Amino acid sequence: MTESQVGRPVSRVDGVAKVTGAARYAADAEVRGVTHAVLVMSTVARGRVTAVDTAGASAAPGVLGVFTHQNLARLALPSPAVAFLKRFLPVQDDLIRHAGQPVAIVVADTLERAQQASGLVGVSYRAEPPRVVLADDMGEAYIPPQTNDGANDYVRGDVAAGLAAAHAVAETTYTTPMQHHNALEPSVTVAAWDGDRLTVHESTQGISNTQNALMQAFGLARENVRVLSPYLGGGFGAKGPVWPHTVLTAAVARQVGRPVKLVLTRAQAYTSNGHRAETHQVLRVGAARDGRLTAIQHTVTQQVSRTEDALLNSSEPTRILYACPNVRSTQQAVRLDLPMGSFVRSPETATSHALESTLDELSYTLGLDPVELRVRNWSATNQESGERHGSSYLRECYERGAERFGWSRRDPRPGSMRDRDGLIGWGMATAAHTAGGRPGSSATVTIGVDGTARIRSGTQDLGTGTYTVMRQLGAEVLGLRLRGVRFDLGDSAFPAAFASAASATVPSVGAGVVRAATAARDRVIALAVADPDSPLHGAAPDQVSVGDGDLFLTERPSRRVGYRQVMRRHGRLIEVTSEAVFAPMGYSVGATFVEVHVDPVLGRVQVRRMVGVFDCGRVLNHRTARSQAIGGAIWAIGFTLSEHTLVDPNLGRIVTPNLSGYLVPVNADVPDIDVSFIDKPDPSSPALGARGFGETPMTGVTAAIGNAVYHATGHRIRDLPITQDKIIAALS
Amino acid sequence: MDAFAYTRADQPERAVRLAADPRARYIAGGTDLLNLMKDGVQRHDHLIDISALPLADVRESGGRIRLGALSRMSDVAVHQAVRRRLPVLSQALLAGASPQVRNMASLGGNLLQRTRCWYFRDPTMPCNRREPGSGCPALDGLNRWHAIVGGSDHCIAVHPSDLAVALTALDATVRTLSAEGPREIPMAGFYLPPGDTPHLETALRQGELITGIDVPVTELAAGSTYLKVRDRATFEFAVVSVAALVRLRGEEVREARLAFGGIAPRPWRSEAAEQALIGRPLNAATIEAAGAALVRDARPRAHNAFKVPLVQRALSDILGQFGRNR
Ligand SMILES: Cc1cc2nc3c(=O)[nH]c(=O)nc-3n(C[C@H](O)[C@H](O)[C@H](O)COP(=O)(O)OP(=O)(O)OC[C@H]3O[C@@H](n4cnc5c(N)ncnc54)[C@H](O)[C@@H]3O)c2cc1C
Ligand code: SF4
Repeated sequence: MTESQVGRPVSRVDGVAKVTGAARYAADAEVRGVTHAVLVMSTVARGRVTAVDTAGASAAPGVLGVFTHQNLARLALPSPAVAFLKRFLPVQDDLIRHAGQPVAIVVADTLERAQQASGLVGVSYRAEPPRVVLADDMGEAYIPPQTNDGANDYVRGDVAAGLAAAHAVAETTYTTPMQHHNALEPSVTVAAWDGDRLTVHESTQGISNTQNALMQAFGLARENVRVLSPYLGGGFGAKGPVWPHTVLTAAVARQVGRPVKLVLTRAQAYTSNGHRAETHQVLRVGAARDGRLTAIQHTVTQQVSRTEDALLNSSEPTRILYACPNVRSTQQAVRLDLPMGSFVRSPETATSHALESTLDELSYTLGLDPVELRVRNWSATNQESGERHGSSYLRECYERGAERFGWSRRDPRPGSMRDRDGLIGWGMATAAHTAGGRPGSSATVTIGVDGTARIRSGTQDLGTGTYTVMRQLGAEVLGLRLRGVRFDLGDSAFPAAFASAASATVPSVGAGVVRAATAARDRVIALAVADPDSPLHGAAPDQVSVGDGDLFLTERPSRRVGYRQVMRRHGRLIEVTSEAVFAPMGYSVGATFVEVHVDPVLGRVQVRRMVGVFDCGRVLNHRTARSQAIGGAIWAIGFTLSEHTLVDPNLGRIVTPNLSGYLVPVNADVPDIDVSFIDKPDPSSPALGARGFGETPMTGVTAAIGNAVYHATGHRIRDLPITQDKIIAALS
Repeated sequence: MDAFAYTRADQPERAVRLAADPRARYIAGGTDLLNLMKDGVQRHDHLIDISALPLADVRESGGRIRLGALSRMSDVAVHQAVRRRLPVLSQALLAGASPQVRNMASLGGNLLQRTRCWYFRDPTMPCNRREPGSGCPALDGLNRWHAIVGGSDHCIAVHPSDLAVALTALDATVRTLSAEGPREIPMAGFYLPPGDTPHLETALRQGELITGIDVPVTELAAGSTYLKVRDRATFEFAVVSVAALVRLRGEEVREARLAFGGIAPRPWRSEAAEQALIGRPLNAATIEAAGAALVRDARPRAHNAFKVPLVQRALSDILGQFGRNR
């Protein structure tokens, strides 16, 4: 038996480099003569810059340049097609579109001097009162033209008829607040020019997009722009699009004639790379007596900026997940004087939260167990496209999850379960997210004369384990051991890959690696069967298998030869680059079960126990997959119980732009999380049966927590986060 | 952060001499001061490092526990005498910050940490406490974390220290040294009400060094406890907190001292709540009366009205523990 390289809980191959500090992130790049930029941000949310006094800053020690809209070169605005979603470049005119918009850039020889000088820039404004409260401007809601995340007004069937025919209807309003990514590593750009050639070290989820955006901004040819991003300290969507600070850094580097490094501060990150926009959601869900859904009407209203109307809180689960003939999903926008929203770790969590919470409400109206309600509405097809999922073991997830959790012991009556000092609640919800249906990626596999392989692809590793699983995929297909394969990423000189986003890395990049490795392997097999001195000489190529670093006859494994011998005799390396093939749509699903404890006096909610069972096709690596599931659950605890970005209604400014005001969960908030996988290959997968899984784990958990809070207390808290003041208000 | 000079002081007298210059500032653990300086909230030309001063010990003498001002939060929290005789102090320290911060932070620095009011912490926003006369955006803005008692129309910030709440309930005394010599300041008079001068926060004079804190050891203190309510399980400031010292005989409350955090610009001692308990049986009715007395003068704002019931519930929860432990 040859040892399989996929599936095993292989430790991250970049783990040692990360914990020893050997891993060089963008800000660690050693660039000779690098100087430092600091952004000066608008302190008003709306109005115009009337004057910028740069005299003090320009005269400060070490300062190489102070740039405002009056002296920064004019730059071309890159297009949304290269993921430059923001529709203006700051520091090009005097208009203020939101607070925390760059209005000046100071470059100095050291960071400290740049910081000190930035404090000397005096900006005068003509400020106008901003409008930043979604609830105040709901009357201004409009349906924008469709951008990248599905139809904004989607209809199938006849919702009115479906609601009229329903035995029970749940009508709800859920709201979710503004939230921020808070990746540990802030966004970083280090830009260096050599004549007309630009090299950028960037903390990005998409080096190809960054490269394209810079080409557009400066009118450069592809071969003149190189983007490097070998490691990321998380991104969570913040580094998915390309943002102005990247372009601005390159622009000032060109003007001062020195390499420039920009590291966004934590506070600047709150207005520089998007956020999860606040939502207001109204749902009407009807069901027949047996629980079958007759209609879903879901209207999501969310904040957009003055300059963009991209809606990133997509109602994807409403359109795709459950068998329901009559669905209307409307996505509306309200313009406010705030930065644009963007992708935040599983953008569909907001809508999934409202849908899964409403289904729980419906289960009580129907008197039906919430698991059973979902089983009855399970569908083997993508309800929006009508296409069958490659595979879907969601019902098995419900069943196994219920069993591991002990769901059958649940007394469904709210407030019926207690322990010594509080109320206990059990809740559940479905996890579901698309994984694929995105552009493909290419990869190059090079097999050296020593029989080892090097694989390259211009992808990124967010910290999710791309380095590790791509190496596993390559090794599996080639039949090499892990140590005989190396995988490199994060360089735009490598074959182009899709962004590390949309749960698409495995189906897009993974498929590219599999295709290239397959072709390379076949070339080696062809050499082996053609060589008269080879033990495999004369065999039909399709009778040859690979494994453990060898090629061998499938029927007679003792007839074998090593990669190393074959390649040494060949004497030259073999190199194959795969074409990018559009990644098929996948749907990764699961079931989440949660136990909460609610202190009835102080209103504190604590998550006590969590079970998640997932179907993401074949699991490439049980360790990294489990980490992703745990990470999603932890973020979901924050989403449900503590995270919210607060904007002052009068000043229009974020008052919580740091990790002391914006509360992410700490270890003590996180219980033991029981994660397991169905682990059956999806036959439609181009990546050895695996589907993408990045965003699935976070969906479902928020609603499961909220549903458990209801079960504990008998009260629905429909406005997130569920803080103790809301529990107390409900209980008193 | 601007460039500054740095001097390490080895004796309190020398530190005080250096600090006579108003541009100078002491730095102990630096866990608050450096944040404020990096964010541009405070600027100091000269930092006098006092962390090596011989003021880091904990001693018992003459019916008091004497805490050096430079003792670290982590050391004091686990000190045997503190744990046994002043449990509320140990609990309040352990409820504050994180192990990493507590390993750096000194008691003196803790008392002088500045408010977490987000408008205060951002130098580009108006704030009367940071910049007198610039206004208080919290009054009509986001005030979920702000004071419900003891505020003024100029400032409704809350004092963030858990330690100060415990020390207020324990009736501790702050020992100091200045050019005029040593003196003692009772906790009750250490913090100033905001009034129309919220930028004046304590009774300390320019350059006055906190040398230590004296805490009386009493039977009452031995039966003391701390309750902190916050928005996540740990590593977060109080939404409300209670330090309670209660001595019972049978059901009757013989002595009580109650101080509260998270509700006022200074640690909030409520003698009205204490009086509602003393001489009465500890039962639901007296506990409710104490809570009512506590919030009688409360002046909640748009987003912090929940603190009124929450602090009463916290009080009832902690008093209930005394009832049960009896
Ligand atoms: C992330 C975080 C979370 C926190 N959470 C909590 C919490 O939950 N509860 C809580 O109570 N605290 C909390 N804190 C605050 C922390 O306890 C204080 O920052 C710390 O106690 C300050 O002590 P220090 O020695 O570092 O003071 P420094 O930062 O060195 O000094 C603070 C101030 O005190 C002055 N000073 C220091 N020592 C003396 C002295 N002996 N005489 C005169 N002046 C002096 C300094 O000049 C300075 O103005 C938190 C802090 C952080 C960073
Ligand atoms: S509450 Fe006090 S500290 Fe906060 S903004 Fe108002 S004046 Fe400043």
